[in-house]
Amino acid sequence: MGTFANGVHPHGSKALSAGCPIERGPEPKAVYVPLLQHIGRPAVPVVQAGERVLCGQLIAEAAEGLSANVYSPVSGTVKGVLGHITLSGKKREHILIENDFTEEEMFLPPLADRSREGILARIAEAGIVGMGGAAFPTAVKLGTDKKVDILLVNGAECEPYITCDYRVMIEYTQAFLAGVRLCMTACGAERAVIGVEDNKKDAAALLARAAGENVSVRVLKTKYPQGAEKQLIYACTKRTVPEGKLPADAGVVVVNVQTALAVQRAVEENIPCYERVMTVSGKAAGRPANLWVKTGTPYRDLAVFCEGKEDCGRIVSGGPMMGESVFSLKICTGKGTSSLLFLDKDECENRNASACIGCGRCVQACPMGLSPVFIEQALLGERWEEAEAYGALQCIACGCCSYVCPASRFLVQSVKLAKKKLQERRAAANVRGGKKDV
Amino acid sequence: MSEIANYRSAPSPHRSDGASVRRIMLDVLIALLPCLVCGVAYFGLYALLLVFLCMAACFAGEQLYNLVRKKPFTFDLSALVTGMILGLNLPPRAPWYIPLIGGVFAIVVVKMFFGGLGKNFANPAAAARVFLLLAYGSVMASYIGAQPGDLLADGETGATWLSGGALAGSFLGVRGYWGEILQLFLGNIGGSIGETCKLAVFAGGVYLLARKVIDWRIPLVCCLTAAVFALFFYGSARDMLRHLLSGGLLFGSFFMATDYATSPKWKINRILYAFGIGALTMIIRRFGIYPEGMSLAILFMNLLVPVMDRFILPVRFGQTDKNGRPVPHVAAWTMRGLCIALAAVLAAATPAYAAAEYDEPQKVALPASYSFIRGMAADRDRVYYFTAEGEAYLDEYNYTQPLAFEIEIDTASGVVRDIRPITQSTMGYKAELSLFIGKTYEEVAALTDLSADSNLSATFTNTALKGMVEECFLAADFDKNRKFERGGEYIVDRAHSELFGGTAFLAAGSAYLSEYDYTQPLLYYIVVEGDTVSSIVPLMQSTMGYTAELSLFLGKTRAEIEGLTDLSADSDTSATHTNQALKEMVLECLAAGGEK
Repeated sequence: MGTFANGVHPHGSKALSAGCPIERGPEPKAVYVPLLQHIGRPAVPVVQAGERVLCGQLIAEAAEGLSANVYSPVSGTVKGVLGHITLSGKKREHILIENDFTEEEMFLPPLADRSREGILARIAEAGIVGMGGAAFPTAVKLGTDKKVDILLVNGAECEPYITCDYRVMIEYTQAFLAGVRLCMTACGAERAVIGVEDNKKDAAALLARAAGENVSVRVLKTKYPQGAEKQLIYACTKRTVPEGKLPADAGVVVVNVQTALAVQRAVEENIPCYERVMTVSGKAAGRPANLWVKTGTPYRDLAVFCEGKEDCGRIVSGGPMMGESVFSLKICTGKGTSSLLFLDKDECENRNASACIGCGRCVQACPMGLSPVFIEQALLGERWEEAEAYGALQCIACGCCSYVCPASRFLVQSVKLAKKKLQERRAAANVRGGKKDV
Repeated sequence: MSEIANYRSAPSPHRSDGASVRRIMLDVLIALLPCLVCGVAYFGLYALLLVFLCMAACFAGEQLYNLVRKKPFTFDLSALVTGMILGLNLPPRAPWYIPLIGGVFAIVVVKMFFGGLGKNFANPAAAARVFLLLAYGSVMASYIGAQPGDLLADGETGATWLSGGALAGSFLGVRGYWGEILQLFLGNIGGSIGETCKLAVFAGGVYLLARKVIDWRIPLVCCLTAAVFALFFYGSARDMLRHLLSGGLLFGSFFMATDYATSPKWKINRILYAFGIGALTMIIRRFGIYPEGMSLAILFMNLLVPVMDRFILPVRFGQTDKNGRPVPHVAAWTMRGLCIALAAVLAAATPAYAAAEYDEPQKVALPASYSFIRGMAADRDRVYYFTAEGEAYLDEYNYTQPLAFEIEIDTASGVVRDIRPITQSTMGYKAELSLFIGKTYEEVAALTDLSADSNLSATFTNTALKGMVEECFLAADFDKNRKFERGGEYIVDRAHSELFGGTAFLAAGSAYLSEYDYTQPLLYYIVVEGDTVSSIVPLMQSTMGYTAELSLFLGKTRAEIEGLTDLSADSDTSATHTNQALKEMVLECLAAGGEK
């Protein structure tokens, strides 16, 4: 059973929704489709206010550089491009489409060319991005020019509550495996490994039976953050991605379960990426579920659909370890939104930071081998070299340090801030250095 | 559905493992309770008062400091933990002002002056103990012996084992070395209030380990290192174990060295830190002027912790050097290697040392069924340990008193080393052990006046004991220079006799006493010198008066004995039968041949 060093063991809480078959999600009256649902630049709208669009019609085109196409998730009328709040608190541009509930659909043209280039082009065209949360454009990732021999499929789903990938693996097994094979072709990998945590043994067994040649299933220890990219690569292949390098440098490309499914849908069913499977769960959700949710669906629609309870203490988009707290139900889903959790008051931690007692649990828990306690001290004392020496730049923001902290300190936020400051200082130093050269 | 309105926003993660500072401190207090209970049981209620005063001083000191500095009051229990640890570190009869001064010093000077919880550079309890040791040397060095159960006792002044005090040598029925170890382990000895009972320390330590409050590496490596150093410093496996179970080593390594603020944060550094503490403790004990070194060692290693934390860092996941090569885990493997090396050295050296100084008595099989001896053991120095059972008929009471003694015969000096009664009359008719202890075989055999003052029963007991001691002498003598095992019809064993010179035979036979239709087992210790019989000591024959007439055989040669025809004793057929049986035995011994 593969695993990695350190990490933590939060209670899985997956039983709430693990048994719920995937169903159709809410059909929103209006969708706010974000132009930025991915890492990189916002897409550029190609529709005007008042224009009628069909479900699956291109509404925004990838900008130059790192970006992705955006498709309409409903048929209806474009009301305009307007600023709308996002989870980060910033207002960003969204395309507002009023749903006319005719469900008129539009498909991509059938794909004849199933070569590497053909598939990559189709992935880019369909606007597929990484669906694990980081939302990196998949075509760019798979189109690496480095020699890749293993395609790693992230089925670890290490965050508590989330079960959407698990449901996809057992309900869409064949489509998912077809997607894996298409991704293998797209990145030129000889074999694929599907990493599954051992709390999903049935999925692992099912996949192992259906996998076929060159695709294997690796059962991983249930431990957080087993699904973090570098940890997953180590657990599945014993390869270590050097600091500052990409997985492709170690000959590996990692894709999420739902990314593989989206690739299959785009290539074989000609459906572009405008919806995904999400988990809505938590004890304050009256009806936990795994749902096909259209991008741009307001969280309020999901709350209504899943009967979010009044005494809900906190709403979290994503998992409880890394997910962000939702401050408004007006916020809309995107391609990378994997779950929405309605946590009641006993389920979530209310942190009141007290003085650090120096127990060192954060050091023992950090899967990256950092020393969060000292990074925080260095940050507060503005000793940047020290912060760097303790590894602030390598933080993956998994939150293990905060999770174990008996003094409830905001360690992961401190380390993230230190990382940001260090990156800014580095950028500033580069600018200064550049000027000197001139 | 009504609108969800009362939810709050908060930074991730939205879960925690439930640990809190107060819970951790509470766990430590719980873990210290067994030590406190044992300390009070051994040293009385005054010890409880000391610990309580110390905790009160620590708590009050912290709150007063907060008041003066206009800071919020703190109720995280950490001051109570410090107070309890320091209190348990005090001598049981320290004056009342010692815990007050120590507590205030620990909290105000060591902890609050440096920024309060988590920011102190030294362990408050260890620092305060060392401060008290320096400032109140004589007070802090005066200990009392343990008085289990006597809660109001004044206590008698006595040195701890580390400062030269003696151990009882026998504890709860376990004798010798393991008795000492048991005594040390259960803590029925002089020492600081909380540190003497190792059982309580282990109980608390295991609780903390189970609750994952402390890192197992620190106590384990600390004790491992101390064991290896003790083994080589004292050259003795026995002293190693005594040292491990003495003083504050265990208490310190479980409760003081594991203090969060002053121990390294990375697990690998903790190994180095614990190694330093274990080594320094033993160096101080062996070469320093103080009998105990745990607090000093902890304090010194505390000072090195910031350096370790800053310069020995965990290798990050995927860390590479300038050339892009992975950084090797040097520190981790060095420390793991150190642990393995320590364990290996200990595992290899302990049996070697233990074998070299092994003097636990080893059981010796009894060559024959002796009258009194029921068990027999000998150590390397040829000290024999006997368990002998007999009985004394107390005329006055018409009562047969069973007797059992443990008798030690030192064959090197040829004297009775010790006699310990196991069973004898509890009514005052006790054997007078001084009649025998330190005496040689001749002296014991020559004892005629066994009377105790006007106490006939005691005299009977003494007489019975004399027989046991004599038998023990002979059995020891016999076992010491054994030549061969069984041979012939009667000879059970043969040996060179140091008591008599010549060759000793243990001959067992029987005589059929036709009058009684009873077969009497017989056992004689027969010494042959050249070709004559020099001594015969009956070990088992009838006690009813039908004893063999030894003079018939003594000093005679084989031919003379063969020529003996009249073995009849005066009008006593049974004695004649016994004589006849003895004649056969003697002849067999003579045939086997004595040394010249």
